[in-house]
Amino acid sequence: MSEPKDYSNLPTMSPLGAPLDWAWLRGAKSEWGVHPKPSPRGLTMLDIASGSYGEVPDHPAHRSMAPRGADIEAGTPDMGYILNDKADVWAENTRELYEEAVARQWSATRDIPWGELRELDDDVEHAMCQLCTLLTEVEMIAADLPAKWMWRMNHEFIEAKMFLCTQIMDEARHAEVFRKRALANGGGLLLSRNGATSLLRTIIEAKSYTQATALMHLLGEGFVLDLFRMGELIAPSDVEKRIFRMCMQDEARHVAYGTMHIRYSVEHDPDVAEEIHEALDHGEMVLTEFGTAPDVSTALAVLLAGGVEHVEDKGFPLSLEMTKKQFTSYLARCERAGISRVERTKIPLDLLGIDIESIRSAGRAA
Amino acid sequence: MRIDSLPFFAALAAEMNSHPERYQPLGEADMDVVVVMRDEPERPFAVRCAFEGIRCEHVVEVDADSPCEYRLDGPRAAWQAMFDDIAARGRATGLQTINSLALLGDDIRLGGSDPMGLDKFSRFNQTLQEFFDGASRVLAMEVAP
Repeated sequence: MSEPKDYSNLPTMSPLGAPLDWAWLRGAKSEWGVHPKPSPRGLTMLDIASGSYGEVPDHPAHRSMAPRGADIEAGTPDMGYILNDKADVWAENTRELYEEAVARQWSATRDIPWGELRELDDDVEHAMCQLCTLLTEVEMIAADLPAKWMWRMNHEFIEAKMFLCTQIMDEARHAEVFRKRALANGGGLLLSRNGATSLLRTIIEAKSYTQATALMHLLGEGFVLDLFRMGELIAPSDVEKRIFRMCMQDEARHVAYGTMHIRYSVEHDPDVAEEIHEALDHGEMVLTEFGTAPDVSTALAVLLAGGVEHVEDKGFPLSLEMTKKQFTSYLARCERAGISRVERTKIPLDLLGIDIESIRSAGRAA
Repeated sequence: MRIDSLPFFAALAAEMNSHPERYQPLGEADMDVVVVMRDEPERPFAVRCAFEGIRCEHVVEVDADSPCEYRLDGPRAAWQAMFDDIAARGRATGLQTINSLALLGDDIRLGGSDPMGLDKFSRFNQTLQEFFDGASRVLAMEVAP
Protein backbone atom coordinates (compact mmCIF):
# COMPACT_ATOMS: atom_id res chain seq x y z
CA MET A 1 0.00 0.00 0.00
CA SER A 2 1.31 3.47 -0.83
CA GLU A 3 2.50 5.85 1.89
CA PRO A 4 -0.01 8.43 3.23
CA LYS A 5 0.41 11.85 1.70
CA ASP A 6 0.51 15.19 3.45
CA TYR A 7 -3.12 16.22 3.78
CA SER A 8 -2.54 19.22 6.04
CA ASN A 9 -2.98 21.92 3.41
CA LEU A 10 -6.27 20.81 1.84
CA PRO A 11 -8.84 23.60 1.33
CA THR A 12 -11.46 24.21 3.99
CA MET A 13 -14.04 25.78 1.68
CA SER A 14 -15.38 24.71 -1.74
CA PRO A 15 -15.18 27.07 -4.73
CA LEU A 16 -18.82 27.91 -4.03
CA GLY A 17 -18.06 28.77 -0.40
CA ALA A 18 -19.40 25.60 1.24
CA PRO A 19 -17.41 24.10 4.14
CA LEU A 20 -15.40 20.98 3.33
CA ASP A 21 -14.83 17.96 5.57
CA TRP A 22 -11.64 15.86 5.15
CA ALA A 23 -12.10 13.70 8.26
CA TRP A 24 -12.62 10.58 6.15
CA LEU A 25 -9.16 11.10 4.63
CA ARG A 26 -7.12 11.83 7.69
CA GLY A 27 -9.07 11.10 10.85
CA ALA A 28 -11.35 8.04 10.59
CA LYS A 29 -10.90 5.55 13.44
CA SER A 30 -12.17 2.54 11.52
CA GLU A 31 -9.84 -0.32 10.68
CA TRP A 32 -7.72 0.36 7.58
CA GLY A 33 -5.76 -2.08 5.45
CA VAL A 34 -7.48 -5.40 6.25
CA HIS A 35 -6.79 -6.57 2.71
CA PRO A 36 -8.87 -9.77 2.55
CA LYS A 37 -7.67 -12.38 0.08
CA PRO A 38 -10.13 -13.66 -2.51
CA SER A 39 -10.88 -17.36 -2.38
CA PRO A 40 -10.79 -19.42 -5.60
CA ARG A 41 -14.42 -18.55 -6.31
CA GLY A 42 -13.88 -14.79 -5.88
CA LEU A 43 -14.10 -12.35 -2.99
CA THR A 44 -16.85 -13.74 -0.80
CA MET A 45 -18.62 -12.38 2.24
CA LEU A 46 -16.74 -14.98 4.24
CA ASP A 47 -13.44 -13.64 2.89
CA ILE A 48 -14.19 -10.06 3.96
CA ALA A 49 -15.38 -11.08 7.42
CA SER A 50 -11.89 -10.33 8.69
CA GLY A 51 -10.55 -8.11 11.42
CA SER A 52 -13.09 -5.84 13.05
CA TYR A 53 -15.32 -6.13 9.97
CA GLY A 54 -16.02 -9.76 10.74
CA GLU A 55 -17.04 -9.11 14.34
CA VAL A 56 -20.81 -9.11 14.72
CA PRO A 57 -21.70 -7.61 18.11
CA ASP A 58 -24.12 -9.44 20.37
CA HIS A 59 -25.69 -6.13 21.38
CA PRO A 60 -24.86 -3.36 18.89
CA ALA A 61 -24.24 0.09 20.33
CA HIS A 62 -25.83 1.86 17.37
CA ARG A 63 -29.26 1.66 15.80
CA SER A 64 -28.50 3.46 12.56
CA MET A 65 -27.88 2.31 9.02
CA ALA A 66 -24.16 3.01 9.39
CA PRO A 67 -22.18 0.07 7.98
CA ARG A 68 -20.74 -2.24 10.63
CA GLY A 69 -17.08 -1.37 11.11
CA ALA A 70 -17.41 2.26 9.97
CA ASP A 71 -16.39 5.18 12.19
CA ILE A 72 -19.84 6.38 13.21
CA GLU A 73 -20.51 10.01 13.99
CA ALA A 74 -22.09 10.76 17.35
CA GLY A 75 -25.79 11.58 17.27
CA THR A 76 -26.61 9.38 14.29
CA PRO A 77 -30.42 8.97 14.21
CA ASP A 78 -32.03 5.86 15.67
CA MET A 79 -33.81 3.93 12.91
CA GLY A 80 -36.27 2.38 15.34
CA TYR A 81 -34.93 -1.15 15.14
CA ILE A 82 -36.49 -3.62 17.54
CA LEU A 83 -34.33 -6.66 16.73
CA ASN A 84 -31.16 -5.45 18.37
CA ASP A 85 -29.68 -8.66 19.75
CA LYS A 86 -27.62 -10.89 17.55
CA ALA A 87 -29.59 -13.90 18.79
CA ASP A 88 -32.74 -12.31 17.38
CA VAL A 89 -31.72 -12.86 13.75
CA TRP A 90 -28.33 -14.53 13.43
CA ALA A 91 -27.38 -17.99 12.21
CA GLU A 92 -23.84 -19.35 11.98
CA ASN A 93 -24.34 -20.20 8.30
CA THR A 94 -25.69 -16.80 7.23
CA ARG A 95 -22.73 -15.66 5.13
CA GLU A 96 -22.30 -19.06 3.50
CA LEU A 97 -25.99 -19.19 2.60
CA TYR A 98 -25.94 -15.69 1.16
CA GLU A 99 -23.05 -16.58 -1.15
CA GLU A 100 -24.76 -19.83 -2.08
CA ALA A 101 -27.98 -18.02 -2.89
CA VAL A 102 -26.23 -15.49 -5.10
CA ALA A 103 -24.33 -18.24 -6.91
CA ARG A 104 -27.36 -20.46 -7.46
CA GLN A 105 -29.93 -18.02 -8.80
CA TRP A 106 -31.91 -19.17 -11.81
CA SER A 107 -34.51 -17.78 -14.16
CA ALA A 108 -38.08 -19.03 -14.41
CA THR A 109 -38.18 -17.53 -17.88
CA ARG A 110 -34.98 -19.01 -19.26
CA ASP A 111 -34.08 -22.13 -17.28
CA ILE A 112 -37.35 -24.07 -17.55
CA PRO A 113 -37.88 -25.87 -20.87
CA TRP A 114 -41.39 -24.45 -21.34
CA GLY A 115 -41.40 -25.54 -24.98
CA GLU A 116 -41.34 -29.18 -23.89
CA LEU A 117 -44.70 -29.04 -22.09
CA ARG A 118 -47.06 -31.58 -23.56
CA GLU A 119 -50.80 -31.93 -23.43
CA LEU A 120 -51.93 -33.81 -20.33
CA ASP A 121 -55.09 -35.67 -19.48
CA ASP A 122 -57.76 -33.30 -18.23
CA ASP A 123 -57.70 -34.58 -14.63
CA VAL A 124 -53.90 -34.38 -14.38
CA GLU A 125 -53.79 -30.86 -15.87
CA HIS A 126 -56.48 -29.75 -13.43
CA ALA A 127 -54.60 -31.29 -10.50
CA MET A 128 -51.35 -29.66 -11.56
CA CYS A 129 -53.07 -26.31 -11.94
CA GLN A 130 -54.72 -26.68 -8.52
CA LEU A 131 -51.34 -27.41 -6.93
CA CYS A 132 -49.80 -24.45 -8.78
CA THR A 133 -52.63 -22.21 -7.57
CA LEU A 134 -51.84 -23.21 -4.01
CA LEU A 135 -48.07 -22.85 -4.41
CA THR A 136 -48.36 -19.46 -6.09
CA GLU A 137 -50.39 -18.40 -3.07
CA VAL A 138 -48.23 -19.82 -0.28
CA GLU A 139 -44.79 -19.10 -1.69
CA MET A 140 -45.05 -15.34 -1.36
CA ILE A 141 -45.49 -15.58 2.42
CA ALA A 142 -41.79 -16.37 2.59
CA ALA A 143 -41.16 -13.05 0.87
CA ASP A 144 -43.71 -10.99 2.76
CA LEU A 145 -42.63 -12.23 6.16
CA PRO A 146 -38.92 -11.31 5.97
CA ALA A 147 -39.94 -8.01 4.37
CA LYS A 148 -42.17 -7.35 7.37
CA TRP A 149 -39.28 -7.86 9.80
CA MET A 150 -36.17 -6.79 7.91
CA TRP A 151 -36.56 -3.05 8.42
CA ARG A 152 -36.77 -3.71 12.18
CA MET A 153 -33.45 -5.60 12.22
CA ASN A 154 -30.39 -3.77 13.43
CA HIS A 155 -28.16 -2.92 10.50
CA GLU A 156 -25.13 -4.46 12.23
CA PHE A 157 -26.65 -7.81 11.22
CA ILE A 158 -26.30 -6.90 7.57
CA GLU A 159 -25.46 -10.43 6.39
CA ALA A 160 -28.71 -11.80 7.81
CA LYS A 161 -30.62 -9.04 6.06
CA MET A 162 -28.77 -9.72 2.83
CA PHE A 163 -29.62 -13.42 3.03
CA LEU A 164 -33.28 -12.59 3.59
CA CYS A 165 -33.15 -10.38 0.49
CA THR A 166 -32.11 -13.44 -1.51
CA GLN A 167 -34.96 -15.38 0.01
CA ILE A 168 -37.40 -12.70 -1.10
CA MET A 169 -36.04 -12.94 -4.63
CA ASP A 170 -36.26 -16.74 -4.50
CA GLU A 171 -39.88 -16.62 -3.44
CA ALA A 172 -40.76 -14.09 -6.12
CA ARG A 173 -39.32 -16.55 -8.63
CA HIS A 174 -41.29 -19.44 -7.11
CA ALA A 175 -44.53 -17.48 -7.33
CA GLU A 176 -43.57 -16.64 -10.92
CA VAL A 177 -42.75 -20.19 -11.96
CA PHE A 178 -45.90 -21.76 -10.51
CA ARG A 179 -48.11 -19.01 -11.94
CA LYS A 180 -46.47 -19.52 -15.31
CA ARG A 181 -46.97 -23.28 -15.09
CA ALA A 182 -50.64 -22.89 -14.21
CA LEU A 183 -51.21 -20.81 -17.32
CA ALA A 184 -48.74 -22.38 -19.73
CA ASN A 185 -50.36 -25.67 -20.66
CA GLY A 186 -53.93 -24.87 -21.52
CA GLY A 187 -55.18 -24.69 -17.93
CA GLY A 188 -55.31 -21.82 -15.49
CA LEU A 189 -55.48 -20.88 -11.85
CA LEU A 190 -58.11 -22.85 -9.91
CA LEU A 191 -59.50 -22.63 -6.38
CA SER A 192 -57.99 -20.65 -3.54
CA ARG A 193 -59.57 -21.87 -0.29
CA ASN A 194 -59.73 -20.31 3.16
CA GLY A 195 -57.30 -22.82 4.67
CA ALA A 196 -54.23 -21.53 2.90
CA THR A 197 -54.85 -17.97 3.92
CA SER A 198 -55.51 -19.02 7.53
CA LEU A 199 -52.12 -20.72 7.62
CA LEU A 200 -50.39 -17.74 6.05
CA ARG A 201 -52.08 -15.39 8.47
CA THR A 202 -50.83 -17.44 11.41
CA ILE A 203 -47.29 -17.01 10.07
CA ILE A 204 -47.44 -13.33 9.18
CA GLU A 205 -49.05 -12.43 12.52
CA ALA A 206 -46.43 -14.14 14.69
CA LYS A 207 -45.56 -11.97 17.68
CA SER A 208 -41.78 -12.12 17.32
CA TYR A 209 -39.34 -12.69 14.50
CA THR A 210 -38.09 -15.88 16.09
CA GLN A 211 -41.63 -17.24 16.35
CA ALA A 212 -42.21 -16.16 12.77
CA THR A 213 -39.08 -17.88 11.51
CA ALA A 214 -39.94 -21.06 13.39
CA LEU A 215 -43.35 -21.09 11.75
CA MET A 216 -42.11 -20.13 8.33
CA HIS A 217 -38.63 -21.58 7.87
CA LEU A 218 -38.83 -24.64 10.03
CA LEU A 219 -42.48 -25.63 9.71
CA GLY A 220 -43.91 -24.10 6.54
CA GLU A 221 -40.88 -24.10 4.28
CA GLY A 222 -39.72 -27.42 5.71
CA PHE A 223 -42.96 -28.99 4.53
CA VAL A 224 -42.80 -27.26 1.17
CA LEU A 225 -39.18 -28.39 0.76
CA ASP A 226 -40.26 -31.99 1.16
CA LEU A 227 -43.17 -31.39 -1.20
CA PHE A 228 -40.71 -30.11 -3.81
CA ARG A 229 -38.51 -33.16 -3.27
CA MET A 230 -41.55 -35.26 -3.97
CA GLY A 231 -42.02 -33.37 -7.21
CA GLU A 232 -40.28 -36.37 -8.73
CA LEU A 233 -43.44 -38.36 -8.07
CA ILE A 234 -45.89 -35.52 -8.51
CA ALA A 235 -44.62 -34.06 -11.76
CA PRO A 236 -46.39 -35.28 -14.88
CA SER A 237 -43.44 -34.38 -17.13
CA ASP A 238 -39.77 -33.39 -17.07
CA VAL A 239 -40.78 -29.74 -17.22
CA GLU A 240 -42.51 -29.85 -13.86
CA LYS A 241 -39.75 -32.03 -12.46
CA ARG A 242 -37.23 -29.34 -13.31
CA ILE A 243 -39.43 -26.70 -11.72
CA PHE A 244 -39.66 -28.67 -8.50
CA ARG A 245 -35.93 -29.45 -8.40
CA MET A 246 -34.89 -25.86 -8.93
CA CYS A 247 -37.33 -24.63 -6.28
CA MET A 248 -36.18 -27.39 -3.94
CA GLN A 249 -32.62 -26.09 -3.96
CA ASP A 250 -33.78 -22.60 -2.99
CA GLU A 251 -36.16 -23.82 -0.34
CA ALA A 252 -33.46 -25.94 1.30
CA ARG A 253 -31.34 -22.80 1.83
CA HIS A 254 -34.20 -21.08 3.58
CA VAL A 255 -34.76 -24.07 5.82
CA ALA A 256 -31.01 -24.22 6.55
CA TYR A 257 -31.06 -20.59 7.68
CA GLY A 258 -34.17 -21.08 9.80
CA THR A 259 -32.92 -24.24 11.47
CA MET A 260 -29.60 -22.68 12.40
CA HIS A 261 -31.16 -19.38 13.42
CA ILE A 262 -33.48 -21.13 15.84
CA ARG A 263 -30.52 -23.05 17.18
CA TYR A 264 -28.45 -19.90 17.66
CA SER A 265 -31.39 -18.18 19.27
CA VAL A 266 -32.11 -20.95 21.76
CA GLU A 267 -28.44 -21.41 22.63
CA HIS A 268 -28.02 -17.72 23.43
CA ASP A 269 -31.41 -17.15 25.04
CA PRO A 270 -32.89 -20.42 26.38
CA ASP A 271 -36.06 -18.58 27.45
CA VAL A 272 -37.01 -18.19 23.81
CA ALA A 273 -37.53 -21.96 23.47
CA GLU A 274 -40.95 -21.86 25.12
CA GLU A 275 -41.99 -19.01 22.86
CA ILE A 276 -41.04 -21.13 19.84
CA HIS A 277 -42.83 -24.19 21.19
CA GLU A 278 -46.03 -22.17 21.66
CA ALA A 279 -45.84 -20.96 18.07
CA LEU A 280 -45.24 -24.46 16.76
CA ASP A 281 -48.04 -25.94 18.92
CA HIS A 282 -50.44 -23.72 17.06
CA GLY A 283 -48.63 -23.86 13.71
CA GLU A 284 -48.59 -27.67 13.55
CA MET A 285 -52.32 -27.75 14.17
CA VAL A 286 -53.07 -25.20 11.45
CA LEU A 287 -50.67 -26.86 9.01
CA THR A 288 -52.21 -30.27 9.61
CA GLU A 289 -55.69 -28.86 8.96
CA PHE A 290 -54.41 -27.22 5.82
CA GLY A 291 -52.50 -30.27 4.60
CA THR A 292 -55.48 -32.54 5.05
CA ALA A 293 -57.91 -30.11 3.41
CA PRO A 294 -60.00 -32.02 0.85
CA ASP A 295 -58.89 -29.96 -2.14
CA VAL A 296 -55.16 -30.12 -1.39
CA SER A 297 -55.13 -33.83 -0.63
CA THR A 298 -57.18 -34.78 -3.70
CA ALA A 299 -55.07 -32.76 -6.14
CA LEU A 300 -51.88 -34.28 -4.73
CA ALA A 301 -53.34 -37.78 -4.81
CA VAL A 302 -54.39 -37.42 -8.47
CA LEU A 303 -50.88 -36.28 -9.41
CA LEU A 304 -49.27 -39.10 -7.44
CA ALA A 305 -51.60 -41.62 -9.10
CA GLY A 306 -51.16 -40.16 -12.57
CA GLY A 307 -54.94 -39.69 -12.86
CA VAL A 308 -58.20 -40.30 -11.07
CA GLU A 309 -58.30 -43.98 -12.03
CA HIS A 310 -55.71 -45.02 -9.45
CA VAL A 311 -56.31 -42.38 -6.85
CA GLU A 312 -57.44 -44.85 -4.20
CA ASP A 313 -55.01 -47.71 -4.71
CA LYS A 314 -51.97 -45.54 -5.51
CA GLY A 315 -52.59 -41.84 -4.93
CA PHE A 316 -53.72 -41.83 -1.33
CA PRO A 317 -51.20 -44.45 -0.09
CA LEU A 318 -48.34 -42.50 -1.68
CA SER A 319 -49.72 -39.30 -0.24
CA LEU A 320 -49.66 -40.85 3.23
CA GLU A 321 -46.06 -41.92 2.69
CA MET A 322 -45.20 -38.36 1.71
CA THR A 323 -46.84 -37.00 4.82
CA LYS A 324 -44.78 -39.38 6.94
CA LYS A 325 -41.59 -38.16 5.28
CA GLN A 326 -42.58 -34.53 5.77
CA PHE A 327 -43.26 -34.92 9.48
CA THR A 328 -40.12 -37.01 9.99
CA SER A 329 -37.93 -34.38 8.32
CA TYR A 330 -39.62 -31.56 10.22
CA LEU A 331 -39.20 -33.21 13.61
CA ALA A 332 -35.55 -34.05 12.84
CA ARG A 333 -34.88 -30.41 11.95
CA CYS A 334 -36.51 -29.35 15.22
CA GLU A 335 -34.08 -31.63 17.07
CA ARG A 336 -31.18 -30.08 15.15
CA ALA A 337 -32.49 -26.62 15.98
CA GLY A 338 -32.44 -27.52 19.69
CA ILE A 339 -36.19 -27.53 20.24
CA SER A 340 -37.21 -31.16 20.48
CA ARG A 341 -40.87 -31.56 19.61
CA VAL A 342 -41.08 -35.32 20.08
CA GLU A 343 -42.64 -35.15 23.55
CA ARG A 344 -44.73 -32.11 22.91
CA THR A 345 -46.19 -32.41 19.44
CA LYS A 346 -49.81 -33.40 18.93
CA ILE A 347 -48.93 -34.97 15.58
CA PRO A 348 -49.99 -38.64 15.78
CA LEU A 349 -46.50 -40.11 15.41
CA ASP A 350 -47.60 -43.70 16.05
CA LEU A 351 -50.41 -43.45 13.53
CA LEU A 352 -48.03 -42.12 10.89
CA GLY A 353 -45.44 -44.80 11.74
CA ILE A 354 -42.70 -42.26 12.48
CA ASP A 355 -39.49 -43.66 13.95
CA ILE A 356 -38.84 -41.53 17.02
CA GLU A 357 -35.32 -42.85 17.58
CA SER A 358 -34.17 -41.72 14.14
CA ILE A 359 -35.52 -38.27 14.93
CA ARG A 360 -33.72 -38.11 18.27
CA SER A 361 -30.44 -39.06 16.60
CA ALA A 362 -30.70 -35.85 14.57
CA GLY A 363 -30.37 -33.89 17.78
CA ARG A 364 -27.36 -35.89 18.88
CA ALA A 365 -25.66 -35.13 15.53
CA ALA A 366 -25.60 -31.42 16.32
CA MET B 1 -15.17 -49.75 -16.42
CA ARG B 2 -16.90 -51.01 -13.30
CA ILE B 3 -19.02 -48.36 -11.62
CA ASP B 4 -18.05 -49.66 -8.18
CA SER B 5 -14.46 -48.59 -8.62
CA LEU B 6 -12.33 -45.62 -7.72
CA PRO B 7 -11.22 -45.06 -11.34
CA PHE B 8 -14.85 -44.61 -12.37
CA PHE B 9 -15.45 -41.92 -9.77
CA ALA B 10 -12.09 -40.32 -10.51
CA ALA B 11 -13.21 -40.14 -14.15
CA LEU B 12 -16.50 -38.52 -13.10
CA ALA B 13 -14.54 -35.96 -11.07
CA ALA B 14 -12.21 -35.28 -13.98
CA GLU B 15 -15.20 -34.89 -16.27
CA MET B 16 -16.74 -32.35 -13.90
CA ASN B 17 -13.51 -30.44 -13.44
CA SER B 18 -12.87 -30.19 -17.16
CA HIS B 19 -16.34 -28.77 -17.88
CA PRO B 20 -16.88 -25.80 -15.58
CA GLU B 21 -19.31 -24.37 -18.14
CA ARG B 22 -21.78 -27.11 -17.20
CA TYR B 23 -21.58 -26.33 -13.49
CA GLN B 24 -21.17 -22.55 -13.45
CA PRO B 25 -24.87 -21.94 -14.26
CA LEU B 26 -25.84 -24.20 -11.36
CA GLY B 27 -23.62 -22.27 -8.94
CA GLU B 28 -21.09 -23.37 -6.38
CA ALA B 29 -21.71 -26.39 -4.20
CA ASP B 30 -19.88 -27.45 -1.06
CA MET B 31 -20.71 -30.93 0.11
CA ASP B 32 -19.14 -34.11 1.31
CA VAL B 33 -20.97 -37.16 -0.01
CA VAL B 34 -20.34 -40.86 0.45
CA VAL B 35 -21.69 -43.18 -2.25
CA VAL B 36 -22.07 -46.80 -1.18
CA MET B 37 -22.61 -49.66 -3.62
CA ARG B 38 -23.42 -53.06 -2.22
CA ASP B 39 -22.81 -56.17 -4.21
CA GLU B 40 -21.52 -58.56 -1.65
CA PRO B 41 -23.03 -57.52 1.70
CA GLU B 42 -19.80 -57.92 3.65
CA ARG B 43 -17.65 -55.97 1.18
CA PRO B 44 -19.46 -52.84 0.00
CA PHE B 45 -17.68 -50.34 -2.21
CA ALA B 46 -17.79 -46.81 -0.78
CA VAL B 47 -16.33 -43.61 -2.14
CA ARG B 48 -16.26 -40.12 -0.66
CA CYS B 49 -16.77 -37.29 -3.15
CA ALA B 50 -15.85 -33.85 -1.85
CA PHE B 51 -17.30 -30.96 -3.84
CA GLU B 52 -16.01 -27.42 -3.54
CA GLY B 53 -17.30 -24.61 -5.70
CA ILE B 54 -17.77 -26.01 -9.17
CA ARG B 55 -15.22 -28.77 -8.75
CA CYS B 56 -15.08 -32.25 -7.30
CA GLU B 57 -11.83 -31.90 -5.40
CA HIS B 58 -11.42 -35.39 -3.98
CA VAL B 59 -12.67 -38.90 -4.56
CA VAL B 60 -11.36 -41.35 -2.02
CA GLU B 61 -12.34 -44.92 -1.26
CA VAL B 62 -13.59 -45.12 2.31
CA ASP B 63 -15.44 -47.39 4.70
CA ALA B 64 -19.18 -47.53 4.09
CA ASP B 65 -19.90 -45.99 7.48
CA SER B 66 -17.32 -43.26 7.08
CA PRO B 67 -18.54 -39.87 8.39
CA CYS B 68 -19.97 -37.50 5.78
CA GLU B 69 -22.66 -34.89 5.32
CA TYR B 70 -24.92 -37.38 3.61
CA ARG B 71 -24.72 -40.87 2.24
CA LEU B 72 -26.35 -42.54 -0.77
CA ASP B 73 -26.41 -46.24 -0.13
CA GLY B 74 -27.83 -48.96 -2.31
CA PRO B 75 -27.30 -52.22 -4.16
CA ARG B 76 -24.85 -52.12 -7.03
CA ALA B 77 -27.63 -53.23 -9.38
CA ALA B 78 -29.68 -50.12 -8.59
CA TRP B 79 -26.69 -47.87 -9.24
CA GLN B 80 -25.95 -49.78 -12.43
CA ALA B 81 -29.53 -49.23 -13.63
CA MET B 82 -29.15 -45.50 -12.97
CA PHE B 83 -25.86 -45.26 -14.84
CA ASP B 84 -27.21 -47.42 -17.68
CA ASP B 85 -30.09 -44.97 -18.08
CA ILE B 86 -27.63 -42.06 -18.08
CA ALA B 87 -25.42 -43.79 -20.65
CA ALA B 88 -28.39 -44.58 -22.88
CA ARG B 89 -30.12 -41.19 -22.73
CA GLY B 90 -27.33 -38.75 -21.97
CA ARG B 91 -28.81 -37.90 -18.58
CA ALA B 92 -30.91 -39.55 -15.90
CA THR B 93 -34.58 -39.66 -16.80
CA GLY B 94 -37.87 -40.54 -15.17
CA LEU B 95 -37.46 -42.41 -11.93
CA GLN B 96 -33.72 -42.87 -12.51
CA THR B 97 -32.77 -39.40 -11.28
CA ILE B 98 -30.90 -39.51 -7.99
CA ASN B 99 -33.66 -37.48 -6.36
CA SER B 100 -36.29 -40.00 -7.46
CA LEU B 101 -34.24 -42.97 -6.38
CA ALA B 102 -33.40 -41.54 -2.98
CA LEU B 103 -36.93 -40.30 -2.47
CA LEU B 104 -38.51 -43.65 -3.07
CA GLY B 105 -35.78 -45.21 -0.95
CA ASP B 106 -36.66 -48.70 -2.16
CA ASP B 107 -33.14 -49.30 -3.41
CA ILE B 108 -30.92 -46.28 -2.94
CA ARG B 109 -31.34 -44.66 0.44
CA LEU B 110 -30.40 -41.15 1.49
CA GLY B 111 -28.87 -41.26 4.94
CA GLY B 112 -26.99 -39.20 7.45
CA SER B 113 -27.36 -38.32 11.08
CA ASP B 114 -27.45 -34.53 10.71
CA PRO B 115 -30.53 -32.92 9.07
CA MET B 116 -28.33 -30.01 7.97
CA GLY B 117 -26.13 -32.44 6.07
CA LEU B 118 -29.13 -34.27 4.66
CA ASP B 119 -30.61 -31.01 3.43
CA LYS B 120 -27.46 -30.44 1.36
CA PHE B 121 -28.74 -33.23 -0.85
CA SER B 122 -31.63 -30.90 -1.67
CA ARG B 123 -29.58 -27.68 -1.71
CA PHE B 124 -27.09 -28.98 -4.27
CA ASN B 125 -29.21 -31.61 -5.94
CA GLN B 126 -28.78 -30.43 -9.52
CA THR B 127 -25.00 -30.27 -9.16
CA LEU B 128 -24.93 -33.85 -7.93
CA GLN B 129 -27.23 -34.93 -10.76
CA GLU B 130 -24.99 -33.22 -13.32
CA PHE B 131 -22.00 -34.98 -11.74
CA PHE B 132 -23.67 -38.37 -12.18
CA ASP B 133 -24.89 -37.43 -15.66
CA GLY B 134 -21.23 -36.96 -16.58
CA ALA B 135 -21.13 -40.77 -16.71
CA SER B 136 -22.71 -40.56 -20.16
CA ARG B 137 -19.49 -39.04 -21.48
CA VAL B 138 -17.16 -41.12 -19.29
CA LEU B 139 -18.77 -44.36 -20.41
CA ALA B 140 -18.99 -43.21 -24.05
CA MET B 141 -15.26 -42.51 -24.08
CA GLU B 142 -14.64 -45.97 -22.77
CA VAL B 143 -16.42 -47.69 -25.65
CA ALA B 144 -15.17 -45.27 -28.31
CA PRO B 145 -12.57 -46.79 -30.63
